[in-house]
Amino acid sequence: MIETISGFPFGIVPFGDIVFGFSEFSIIGFITAIIFTIIVYLTKPEKQLEAEKFRIEDKLEVVTLKELKIRRMMAIICGIATAGAMLTCDLFDFALFLTLVGIANIGIVSAVKKEWVLNASYQYGLIAMISTLPLFGSAGMILAKTGTLSLFELSKTQISLLFEKIIFAAGMAGETGIAPFYAAKAEMFRAPGSPYILMIHLSSLLLIVRTVEILLTI
Amino acid sequence: MDTSLIGTINLTIHAFLVGSLLLGLHRKIMARIQGRPGPPIIQYLLHTLKFYVKEITFPITAGNPLYMFVALLDVAIWLSALIIAVDFKSSLLIIIGIYVLQKIVEHGCGLSSGSPYGKLGGVRSVFSAAAEVPLFAVVAAVYLTTHSVLISDVLKYQAVNGSLIFKMPICAFAFFILLVSKTPYSPFGIVKGKDIVSGYMTEHYGLLASIIYIAEAIAYFVLLWLFIAVFIGPSIINDPISTLIAMVIMTIILAFVSGLTPLLAPHHSVMLQMTIAGLVLCDVLYRLIVGG
Repeated sequence: MIETISGFPFGIVPFGDIVFGFSEFSIIGFITAIIFTIIVYLTKPEKQLEAEKFRIEDKLEVVTLKELKIRRMMAIICGIATAGAMLTCDLFDFALFLTLVGIANIGIVSAVKKEWVLNASYQYGLIAMISTLPLFGSAGMILAKTGTLSLFELSKTQISLLFEKIIFAAGMAGETGIAPFYAAKAEMFRAPGSPYILMIHLSSLLLIVRTVEILLTI
Repeated sequence: MDTSLIGTINLTIHAFLVGSLLLGLHRKIMARIQGRPGPPIIQYLLHTLKFYVKEITFPITAGNPLYMFVALLDVAIWLSALIIAVDFKSSLLIIIGIYVLQKIVEHGCGLSSGSPYGKLGGVRSVFSAAAEVPLFAVVAAVYLTTHSVLISDVLKYQAVNGSLIFKMPICAFAFFILLVSKTPYSPFGIVKGKDIVSGYMTEHYGLLASIIYIAEAIAYFVLLWLFIAVFIGPSIINDPISTLIAMVIMTIILAFVSGLTPLLAPHHSVMLQMTIAGLVLCDVLYRLIVGG
């Protein structure tokens, strides 16, 4: 069944319980995440030219070195977690990577000293925290029902997992901040520092596609 | 289709030329609908070549190398989509992953330039991510019906059971709306709305703009090809002349939609796309319950 969804499977790399699988889909996702992480590391943040209120002059907003360092580190963590989520073939590991991406996303914008950015980050953080319950809850229910969290084993099982899949999708929607939860996240995108903000967007989109793949597979 | 290197280069040039001419035709028909003579059909091609020989400029606010990388990424992702879809007829999920990267390009283009217009275009691109939800739902519905998301399997299924457009009209409509969203001057074209100059492309000029134009021509070809392959079937897609005629007909329909409808406000655009997403999700749930 996996072949009809993710393309040709190239093989697996088992690390004990943790199994990484390589298919056409996962390799493309993994390489994309890694290339973006390298580009984010190399890119200098953009400067923003902002109009001043009641003055005929513009203000050049720059990202300070101190702020840059922490944001770049969080963006790299986010990229590595996304790359890991692309390869993992264990539902619990995927949920962990998803949560790690959520934490890193908050970290990327939390160093920005702007009230509206911090507010948006706080609101997204609340949704992300609440979303961990359905995410890990559904993984727990799948384990209780089938006795395994391996995607290879789950793809062979005949037990109906519709309810668990719906809960897992809801958890993913909150964690990645897609509709109907995207309002706070879209506000975060207005913060200065293009490469780091882009990593928030990239990680969310790749994780959504991967979740669709997993939900179709199991 | 030939999967050798020469075959792939042929396919790329074919996709670029056909995509460019179809985009030119789209603009011409739109102009005629609006009572203007309009530019010649080869205008898009001329535009691309003109920008190709102009110098690159970098705004002082730009964040490099991301500023350059996004333009190259744009052409890379649509070339990959072309090869994966047309040459290998591989998984629809990979194509969606690639389509999703287009959002990153739009967002990255806007953000990396440091221009407020580009940034607004990028933020609008994030908001209009609602357009992707019907796409995921379409893939899920195709899977439930054909039990595979590989384009080759979907084509085989249609060869036996007839076109999917009659079995899945709601999904076909949702995919068509996606095509409308990607068409220039469409009601959903908020990311490049003229109220924000050229949206995310405002600061990209010269060679970089030309590269983005090449990518957009290939993207237009790939999306039309996908619609024909997934919903109309092998009877059309296996014959290059029939495929070309189908693409011209679809371009005429899209030009009528773009020419006769105004640009929606960003929140209206998102609301409409979410409504269509809801419709397709209901269709997927129905298929889940009745079993395909």
